[in-house]
Amino acid sequence: MEQKPIVQLRNLTKVIRGKKLIDNLNLDLYPGQITGFLGPNGAGKTTTIRMMTGLMHPTDGEVIIEGQSLDKHYEEAISKVGVIVENPEMYKYMSGYKNLLHFARMHGNIDKTRIDEVIRQVGLEKRIHEKVSTYSLGMRQRLGLAQSLLHRPKFLILDEPTNGLDPAGIREFRTYLRKIAAEDGVSVFVSSHMLSEIELMCDRIAVIQNGKLIDIREMHSEAETVYYVEATPLAKVEEIARAMKFDFLTQDKGLELQVNKESVPRFVAALVAEGVEIFAVQPHQKTLEDQFLEMTGGGQIAEAHTK
Amino acid sequence: MLKLIQNEWMKLWHQKSTWVMLIILIVVIIGFGGLNKYYSNTDDRDWRTVVEEELKMDKESLAQEDIDADYASYLQDNIAIAEYRLAENIAPQKGESFASFMSFGVDLFMFVTLFTVIIAASIVSSEYSTGTIKMLLTRPVSRAKILTSKLLTSFLYGFFLIAVSLAMTAIVGLVLFGQESGVQLTMVDGIIKEVDTWGDLFEKAYLSLGNFTMSILFAFLIGSVFRSSALAIGLTMFLSFSGSLVVMLLSKYWFAKYIWLAHDLIQYQTGYFMIEGITMPFSLAILAVYAIIFLIISYWSFMKRDVTA
Repeated sequence: MEQKPIVQLRNLTKVIRGKKLIDNLNLDLYPGQITGFLGPNGAGKTTTIRMMTGLMHPTDGEVIIEGQSLDKHYEEAISKVGVIVENPEMYKYMSGYKNLLHFARMHGNIDKTRIDEVIRQVGLEKRIHEKVSTYSLGMRQRLGLAQSLLHRPKFLILDEPTNGLDPAGIREFRTYLRKIAAEDGVSVFVSSHMLSEIELMCDRIAVIQNGKLIDIREMHSEAETVYYVEATPLAKVEEIARAMKFDFLTQDKGLELQVNKESVPRFVAALVAEGVEIFAVQPHQKTLEDQFLEMTGGGQIAEAHTK
Repeated sequence: MLKLIQNEWMKLWHQKSTWVMLIILIVVIIGFGGLNKYYSNTDDRDWRTVVEEELKMDKESLAQEDIDADYASYLQDNIAIAEYRLAENIAPQKGESFASFMSFGVDLFMFVTLFTVIIAASIVSSEYSTGTIKMLLTRPVSRAKILTSKLLTSFLYGFFLIAVSLAMTAIVGLVLFGQESGVQLTMVDGIIKEVDTWGDLFEKAYLSLGNFTMSILFAFLIGSVFRSSALAIGLTMFLSFSGSLVVMLLSKYWFAKYIWLAHDLIQYQTGYFMIEGITMPFSLAILAVYAIIFLIISYWSFMKRDVTA
């Protein structure tokens, strides 16, 4: 990635009542890229996002948006950011339109045409003049997205964005995010529990646990693959695998081999030569869920909170 | 800043309670006016007969033996005024008049203060309770500006209600009681003087603004620090009702005169002081110091706070 990062988290740390909720977090986000933010409950996702949006003040370290510290140049830095933190809470007693007008006034330089444009983009034209209290959760999400896009942000932070959207809505939402990332070079940062969503949406993921960033990986790099081999006698299979120096895991009726594709025929030939009966050889691609659970050790609630 | 106030104003008027308070105020004015008109003095005898009758009664009371000195001097004043009226041919006020109804309008400032306290107490805390604070504070507008817009909007609503209550009492007063008005007389240091009704009214009105301002600032402080409008309204009301009691209980201590509650400016008109020996400049200084303290705490807590709502 040769591009300049649009958002940088530098040694971000948050201590509340002696507990280190966020521990020395470093992360760069690039234009045009959708980054997923994963972590078990209580890992510090929301705290991190709140610090990135200026709702919380970091104990140490800083958030830099296009070279400007969020803390020192708040107004200018935050004007490049669009935010949906958890459920988009709107003023329920006003119409969707008045809500958008309200937020538009806080940004300046947003005219009525822009408001109408955003309303069209999120597909709320028909109900925009009705009170928000009559909206379904999905419609509120759309309105939430609309308010976050009003000022054409260069960086979009979304916390659980698809919560409450129907499948068609989620798909539309995903397509839309991909579009603004690709066409307008918007950098998107999405936190979600829905791993399958993140898998479909993101270019890379950052995983946080106990307030520490434990992994950042590109999503479309070669997916990790294992091969499941069911054969008898199992002891013999193990022996052969060991002799060939493969990593494996013994299961009920077979082995889970961590090998590359090219090694498979070699292994099968060896098994046949030794007279082992082979019932199945299956490639098994690890889903993000498998990887996630592996990384976070079963996803238990962060320890810092239980101590 | 203008746009922010515009926003707050828009949100304010989309809430039912804002309208309810305005309507209550208007209904109270019309209702009170109607009540007064309906039950007003229908005595259409000549005012001389009435005054003479009252004069006779006062003299009889004074003639009794076991009356206390205060009452006696009150009666003597009354008698002197009545005799003066008859001699100089000055008609007294007859029942309700435009001016006395306007004085009711100024009394309504207490209502207006209560309503404005409700707004000031909830204008910050409601953003927290609905979660919209997250939407509000992730904008390119500093927290100080947002809080300022909310404070100014609270005062704007208060002044709007004051304007409405004055305009409504003027209209209702003119329609029901007309402009004609008798003359009120009073005895000052043994000299009979005409009461300057309008001057008194004006004085009462601007002295009431002291309590109005302090109540709003206090409610705004509690509302924004504790994010609970119920606590803010309750505490402000409690202090405005029991404030004089609190000051009285503490009046033997030296610091009693440094409590803002002891400085309701209306005392300078009524002449009854909770604490003896205070002067107008001293009271104004104390109120100003407290106002600044309230504001500093409000701003400091609003700007420093981590939003977790």
